[in-house]
This record gives sequence, structure tokens and C-alpha cells, in this order.
Amino acid sequence: MSRPASREPESGSERQGISQGSDQGMLARATGARLWKDHGLLLWAHFLVPPGLAALVVAATFATPVLAGILAGAVLAIAAVSARGLLSRLSQAEEARLALTNQLIQSQKLAAIGELSAGIAHEINNPIAIIAQEAEWAAHLVGEAEKTGTADFAEVKDSLREVRAQVDRCKNITHKLLDFARKREPVLQEVDVVRIIEDMARLVDKEASYKNVTLVRDLPQDLPTLRTDAPLLRQVVLNLMTNALHAVDTGGRIQASARADGEMLEIRIADNGCGIQPENIDKVFNPFFTTKPPSQGTGLGLSMCHTLVTGMQGEISVESKPGQGATFIVRLPLRHSPLHAAGKNT
Amino acid sequence: MEINILLVDDESDFVETMVKRFGIRKMPIDSAKSGQEALAALAAKDYDVIILDVRMPGMDGLEVLKLIRERAPLTEVIMLTGHASLEAGMQGMNLGAYDYVLKPADFDDLLDKVRKAFERKQLNVKARKQGA
Repeated sequence: MSRPASREPESGSERQGISQGSDQGMLARATGARLWKDHGLLLWAHFLVPPGLAALVVAATFATPVLAGILAGAVLAIAAVSARGLLSRLSQAEEARLALTNQLIQSQKLAAIGELSAGIAHEINNPIAIIAQEAEWAAHLVGEAEKTGTADFAEVKDSLREVRAQVDRCKNITHKLLDFARKREPVLQEVDVVRIIEDMARLVDKEASYKNVTLVRDLPQDLPTLRTDAPLLRQVVLNLMTNALHAVDTGGRIQASARADGEMLEIRIADNGCGIQPENIDKVFNPFFTTKPPSQGTGLGLSMCHTLVTGMQGEISVESKPGQGATFIVRLPLRHSPLHAAGKNT
Repeated sequence: MEINILLVDDESDFVETMVKRFGIRKMPIDSAKSGQEALAALAAKDYDVIILDVRMPGMDGLEVLKLIRERAPLTEVIMLTGHASLEAGMQGMNLGAYDYVLKPADFDDLLDKVRKAFERKQLNVKARKQGA
């Protein structure tokens, strides 16, 4: 169950005017539709050659060239008509598939926006409630002091301090959000990925040993260096490791590995923890999505990883089966596209 | 090219050794014994790389890091700590520290990281100039 974290609409998906029908019908027709687009010629040959040959065999048995010609022509014509019908159905199905993909992307976007606003509301509501209470209490205390003429403002000060603390909490949330929205321009340097993973793993080791969790490194010594933003990559690796540490039980196992895969460098952080429920796997990179109890995670870690990795021209994905742990996969291009580099200098 | 380095640590023995070791390599470094001293030094001079201890009495290293990032966003900060602390590491990274070194720091390792941090600062400065 692998899923690219960001999905771009397929090219040509802006096509309109799709035949109506039930979703199931659309899905059924969409199966294998791509064949036509990529292998049109081959399909024509597939449908025309066998009847052509059959016609020739039949003609040979009659042994008159004229009759053979007429027969071959007739069979070819029939085959052509049926193939034409089939091909047009295929292209219809292709359009139906595109329409479905579009609908899916749209509804996922809406769901993400909905979850995001619910998350913000939830995170900010708690401190606001406390601020309201404390302000009320402070007003009450000041009123009492006014009436009685005593001047003990210790409790009022306490209230104000609490208000201040809660405002800071709100500020933290909005700052994190702003950070999240801000597009950071990465600074590219030659980076030794093995070393970065090893460095970050050392930070996690001690915490892991408290939980009796082993953090295994599977890092080749001959990995090519990567041109990327070192601090951002550190942040991603550390976040994924921490995430894995939270996911495993006592005695669990986390494995950090890296390898070169063609044009890409792949980093995998795998754990044997609780895994991700299938209904959640599409949401793990959404901001504010968390399965941890409130106050134990803002749900921003993985979405931040997603933003950072995308900013580095890479992709992040997750594979998981519930109960069998999860593997987060970061893939970064070994060579940055010259297009991107040129764009940066303007 | 000379790198302007500031070492911030309250352990004067450690600071002395480091100043000496950098000095042997013809890399003079400045030092500060607290967060306040560091910020004062930063106001007076443009540093390329600051090596910052996380645990210090008074102003804690992460607080200092926040202020450095605000006041001198181009200056790169390498965090330094006596023990592996995941929490401090996460916070440091999230606050924009360039890297992290565990004490007792292997000097060559630290030197390498300082050079890398400096390289990043220069790239950053260059990118800004081209962007302006």
C-alpha cells in the first residue's frame, strides 16, 4: 500500500463533457482505458491481423483470386468496424477515469481544508477559554478589592500571568502555522546523508534506550553525497525518527536505512509499532491530523516533513499495515534539475 | 577566508581549550560566557557561525537561539550539549539551528560542521544579493 503524498492532477484532466452514468459504471469502463492512449497502433494490428489471415486461409481454400479478394475485404471491413467501436469505448472510459480522479482530488482537498480548520479551532479554543475565565476572575478580584479597600493583588497578578501564558500558547500555534505556510527557499550544499542520519540517530538513541527500543542503522558507506539543504533534511530525519519512537511499544525496533536508487536517494525510517489504520493513511500528512491524545502532539510533525521534502524537490510516502508497523520513505533527487537551479537565480 | 566564530558556553575550561585549538589552526574565535554576553557580542559584530551551548544558567541556549535567529537571521548556529537530548535537539532544529554537536565534541567533527555552516551562510548571502 504505497501512496505518493502529493498528487498532481493528471495531464489533460481538464477535459469536460463526460458521459453520465453511475460511479460503478464509470469505474468498470475505466479499467484498462490507458491501453488505447499508449498502444493504439498495436491494438489496431491486434484486431485486424487475425481476421485478415483468416480471410486469406478461407480464400486459399476457394482458390479463386477474385473471390479471395472480396472475402478478405468483407472480413477486414467488419473487423475494422468492431475495432473502431471498441476503441471509442476505450477512450470514453479514459475520460470517465479522468473525471473520477478529478472528483477524488477535489474532495480530498475539501476534506483537508475541513480538518485543518477544525484542528486550528480546537487548538486555539482551549487557551481562549482559559483566558476568558482568568480575565473574569481578575475582574472579580479587582472589584472586591475596590469594595473592601484592601490592596492584595497577588491573585490578580497570578491571573494575568496565566492570561499571558495562554496568549503565548496561541502565539506558538499561529507561528507554527505561519512557518508552515511560508515557503522556505532551500540553500543547497553537498551533504553527507549517512552522517546526517547517524547524527540524528544519536539524539534519539538515549530516549529510545529508556523505552528499550533499538534503533538500527543500515547505512552504506559508499552513498553518493546529495545536493540539498542540510538543516531541513536533519529536521525531516529527526521528525520521522521521533515519530517512529512514539509509534513503537517497549522493546520495539526502528530501522533507519538509506540507498541510492537510480536518480534518487532514498531514506527509509521503518518501525514495527502499531502501524497506521487504512482510513488514516491518506491523512497522515495533513496538518493537525494526529491520533495522539490532545496536548501530546499538534499533528504538525509529518505535515511539516511533507512541506520540507516537497521544498527540497523530493517526495515522501508511507507504507503501512495496521499492527505491522509503518515505513516512511523520503526520496530526494541526486541531481537537482537545472530548471530549478535557473529559476532560483532570477 | 576568515570565519567569524563566536563560542557561547559557561564552562570556562572548555572555552579556553576551544579558543586554543581554533587558534592553532589560525582561526581566532571570540567567546561569551552567557546568553546575554553573546547577544551583546552579536550586536557589536557580524558573526558567521555561533557555537551555542544548550544548557547555561540564566538564559537558556534555546532562548538565545531564538533571539539570534531574529536579530541575525543569516548567522548560522551550531548547538552544543553535554548529553543527547531529543527534546532539545528537536527544538533546536525546529528553531533553525544548523546542526548539533554532542560534548565531548570531536574537534575535527566540530570544525567540519563550522565550515559547512559557514558555506551555507555564504550561499545564503549570495542568494539574497541575487534576489535583491
